[in-house]
Amino acid sequence: MDYYDIADKALKTAEELGANEAEIYIFSGKSTCSDIRKNSIESAHDKHSLGIGVRCIINGAVGFASTNLLGDIETTVQDAVAAAKVMPDDPDWICLPSNKQYNDVKGLFSVDVADLSLGDCILKTKEMIEGVSSVDGILATSGSFSRSIGSHLIMNSNGVEVEEKSTAITGFIDVITTGNEVSTAYDFAVSRDLDIDFYGLGKRAATLASDSINGIEIKGGKKDVVFHPFALADLIENAFVPSIDADNVQKGRSSLIDKIGENIASDSLSIYDDGTLEGGLGSSISDDEGVPSQKTCVIGNGVLESYLYDSYTAGKAGVESTGNGIRNSYASLPRVGTTNLLLDYDCPSPDIIPEIDEGVFINTVIGAHTANQISGDFSVEARNAFVIEKGEITSPVKSLMISGNIFDILSRIQGAGNDVKKVGGIVLPSIWASELNVVV
Amino acid sequence: MKPDFFDVRVIEGNSMAITLDNGRVEEISSNHGNGCSVRALSNGCWGYTRMEGNCDTEKAIKAASELSKNISLESNRESFSLIPIEAPKIKNLPVVKINPLDISVEEKVEFLKELDSHARCDGVGSTSAIYSESMVHVHYTSSEGLDCEYEMTKVGFAITAIASREGLFQAGRESKFGVAGFEFFKGNEPFEMANRAGKTAVELLDASPAKGGHFPVILDPELAGVFAHEAVGHASEADLVLEGSSILEGKIGEKIGSDKITIIDDPTLHEFGYYPFDAEGVQSHKTTIVEEGILKSYLHSRETAFHLGGKPGNCRAQGSSSPVVRMSNTYIDRGDSNLDEMLAEIGNGVYLLGSRGGQVNTGEGVFQFNAKKGYVIENGEIGDLLRDVSLSGKTLEILNNVSMVAKDLEMHSGRCGKSGQLVPVSDGSPHILVSNALVGGA
Repeated sequence: MDYYDIADKALKTAEELGANEAEIYIFSGKSTCSDIRKNSIESAHDKHSLGIGVRCIINGAVGFASTNLLGDIETTVQDAVAAAKVMPDDPDWICLPSNKQYNDVKGLFSVDVADLSLGDCILKTKEMIEGVSSVDGILATSGSFSRSIGSHLIMNSNGVEVEEKSTAITGFIDVITTGNEVSTAYDFAVSRDLDIDFYGLGKRAATLASDSINGIEIKGGKKDVVFHPFALADLIENAFVPSIDADNVQKGRSSLIDKIGENIASDSLSIYDDGTLEGGLGSSISDDEGVPSQKTCVIGNGVLESYLYDSYTAGKAGVESTGNGIRNSYASLPRVGTTNLLLDYDCPSPDIIPEIDEGVFINTVIGAHTANQISGDFSVEARNAFVIEKGEITSPVKSLMISGNIFDILSRIQGAGNDVKKVGGIVLPSIWASELNVVV
Repeated sequence: MKPDFFDVRVIEGNSMAITLDNGRVEEISSNHGNGCSVRALSNGCWGYTRMEGNCDTEKAIKAASELSKNISLESNRESFSLIPIEAPKIKNLPVVKINPLDISVEEKVEFLKELDSHARCDGVGSTSAIYSESMVHVHYTSSEGLDCEYEMTKVGFAITAIASREGLFQAGRESKFGVAGFEFFKGNEPFEMANRAGKTAVELLDASPAKGGHFPVILDPELAGVFAHEAVGHASEADLVLEGSSILEGKIGEKIGSDKITIIDDPTLHEFGYYPFDAEGVQSHKTTIVEEGILKSYLHSRETAFHLGGKPGNCRAQGSSSPVVRMSNTYIDRGDSNLDEMLAEIGNGVYLLGSRGGQVNTGEGVFQFNAKKGYVIENGEIGDLLRDVSLSGKTLEILNNVSMVAKDLEMHSGRCGKSGQLVPVSDGSPHILVSNALVGGA
C-alpha cells in the first residue's frame, strides 16, 4: 500500500470514529554518515526512518498519536480520537488548513546529494581531516559528514495534500591544539546541495584553534563586541526566537506582548522569517500542517511588525497563519517555529573591524540555552574571543563572559559585515554592538 | 563478509504525555515506536544500521557488516578487540507498584490540575505542567552469544510558573522523573515542588541582578550536582579522553582536586539514570571517578576499556541510536559539614541555587552554568536575592577550590545531551563551598 492509500484510509477511520477533522503526517527518510575520531575515520552509520503522526480534532480538542508501525495505524487513529474525547472543547480552535495551491520553492532537493555513495561520503569526511591537518599542531578530535534524504506527506480531511522531498548534507569538526597550550575550536556547515568546501571547513576550525592559544587576560566593563554569525545565531535562537512565537505571546510569556508597531531594534535592522528562501535549510513549499510557505517581516527597520503563527495561534488571534507550524518529528504536534530567520542590516560593510577602536571579537559562546527565554537576558561564556585594538584583531582572550539582553544587542547594533552565513536556519552576518557588559 | 563482532538491540517503546497550560489540558499525545540498532566491528571500524518499525534483523546485520568492512578499507584505524564480558545478571529491578496503564487519563489530568493549583500562588501569571510516562522493552543479542532483556517503566512531571510585572518576567521550574510507576505521583512532594516553583517566580521579580566578579561561593545540591555531571563527569567519559578532548587525559592516579571531593557514577541506584545492563549488554556497576581528590577511573565502553584499561558498563543509547559512553546517576559524595558551618566560614560571598542548565568544553576544561537564583552572603548571613546569576570557570580550579562538603546529598533528575542523543540521568551533591569562582551577572 502506498502512503497516499494509508493516509486516505486513516482519515476515513478518524471520521468514522467521530473526529470532526483529522490530519495524517507521514515521514520517511534515509541518512548515511561517517564519523571522525582523532584524525581517523571511525565508523559509518545508516539510518532508515519511517513514522506516522495523527491529529484528530473534536470540538476544538486536538488528540495526537504516532507510530512507526504502518500496520498499527488503526490503533494510532483510535488513540488520537480517544485523547481528543477526554480533552475539553476549545472554542479558540478554528480549523485545519484547506489550501490547495503551493508555489514552487527552489533548491530543496539535490540529485547530487541523493546519489552520493558511501565512498563519496568518506571522501568528504577525509577532506575535513586534511583541512585540519594543513595547520600545524592541530588534531581533529571528532567530526562527521552526513547526508540525508527525506520525504513527507501531509493529508487532512479539509483536502490538503502535500508531498515534498528534500536532501541535506552536514559537516562538522571539533579540533584541539596538541601543544602545551590547550585551545579548541569547531566549525560546521549545513546545506541542501553539494556546495560545502569541506577542506576549508576543517582548515578554518584548525586556524581558529591555533590562533586562540596563549590567551591574555583583559579588563571587564562596557565594551564594543563583534559577534561572529555562530555566536549571535546561538543567542538569537535561545533568547530572541521564543519572544516572537505567537503561542508564547498569547500565553503571556513574551516580552514583546503589545509591542507591535514599536521600535525594538536598530533602525538599520530588519528580521524576516522566510520559508521560501532558495535552498534554505528551513525552506519548504508548505509548513508542517500544509500552509503555504511565505516570507514574513518580523522586524522592519527596527519596528516589530509581526509575530509568527501556526494555524491554531492565528485562528485565536484572528489573523492568517504565517506558515510557521513546525514539527520536531512525526512523533510531535506542530508548534510555532521559525523556518529561515534572516537578519538583514541596511548598509553592511566589507570589514567592520577597522571601524572599531577598542572591543572584543567573539566567535562562539557556550551556555546560550540557559538564557531567560521570556526576558531575553543571558549570561554566557565566550570562546575563541579576541581583542580588537585600533581597528585590528590582536591577542586571543583567555576567558570572558558576556551578560546582557538580546533586545539591548539588537538596539545597539553599530554595523554588520557582508559575510552573511547560513547557521542552520538562521542566516546572518557578523554584527557589531556597543556597550555590552564584559565580565572577567 | 563476517565482521569481527556484531550486536543487535531490538527496542519496543510506548509513551504518553499530557500538557496542561494555564490549568487547561492542551495536549494529550501517545507514541508507539519499535526499532532495531545493529553494529558491526571490522578491523577497528564500526558500521551501524538503524531501522525504525518492525525490522528484519538479518538484513540489518548484513548492512552493518558491509558498512564496517567498507569503512575499514578507507580508514587507518588499527584493529582492536572488545574487552571480554560476562552475561549480565538482572537483579534488583525497580518494582512498579501501580502500572500507569491501569490509571485513567482523567486521573492523570487530575494530578496535573492539582499540581498546577499549587504553583498558582499570588503573583503567578501563567503556568504549565507536564506529565509523562514511558515503557520500554530492550532485547540485546550479540555474535558472542549474549541474549538478555529487560523492561522498564519511567514516569515524571515538570511544573513551570511565570510571574511578571512591568515588563519583567521571571520563571520558577521544578521537575522530577524516575524509574517507577504511578505511585511516583503520590504524597505531598510534587505539590511542595509546584509551590516552590510558584514562589521562586514571584520572589525573583524583586531580586536584583547579580554583580559579576570573583567570589567565594556556596553551591546548593542541585547546582553542585550539575557541576559534578557537566564539568567532571563529561571529562571522565573515556571516548572523549581517547579522542584527545578531555582535560583529564593521562591523569589517572593524580590529584586533580581538593581531598574533600569524591565523585561517583552509579547506574544501579533506582534514580532516573538507572539501567540493569548497558547498550553493550554489560552489567551496570558503581564507578568511583574521583576519590578524595584523586582521579581513579574514567567511564568506559568495551572499546575504551580495551584501549585505556578499566571496566565497561557506561555505554548507552537513546532508543535505537548508536551506543556512546555516558553517565548514569552521578554525584559528589557526602562530606561532614553543613550549610551553617559554610555560612560561618565564607563570611562574604554568593549562595547559588538550582540550575537552568549548563555547558562544558571538556577539552579546555571550561564550563558555564546558570543558577535558578542566588543570594548575597554578608558576614555569614543570607541576604538579598539575586536573579540571572551564572557560574563559569575552569573545572580543575573549582575542584581544587572546594573547601567544604556538607552531608545533605540530594539527587535531581534530568536528560543529558551528547552526540545528538538525550538519555535519562540524575546528578546530585550535598552543599559545597568553593573558595573562589567567577560569578557572572547582568
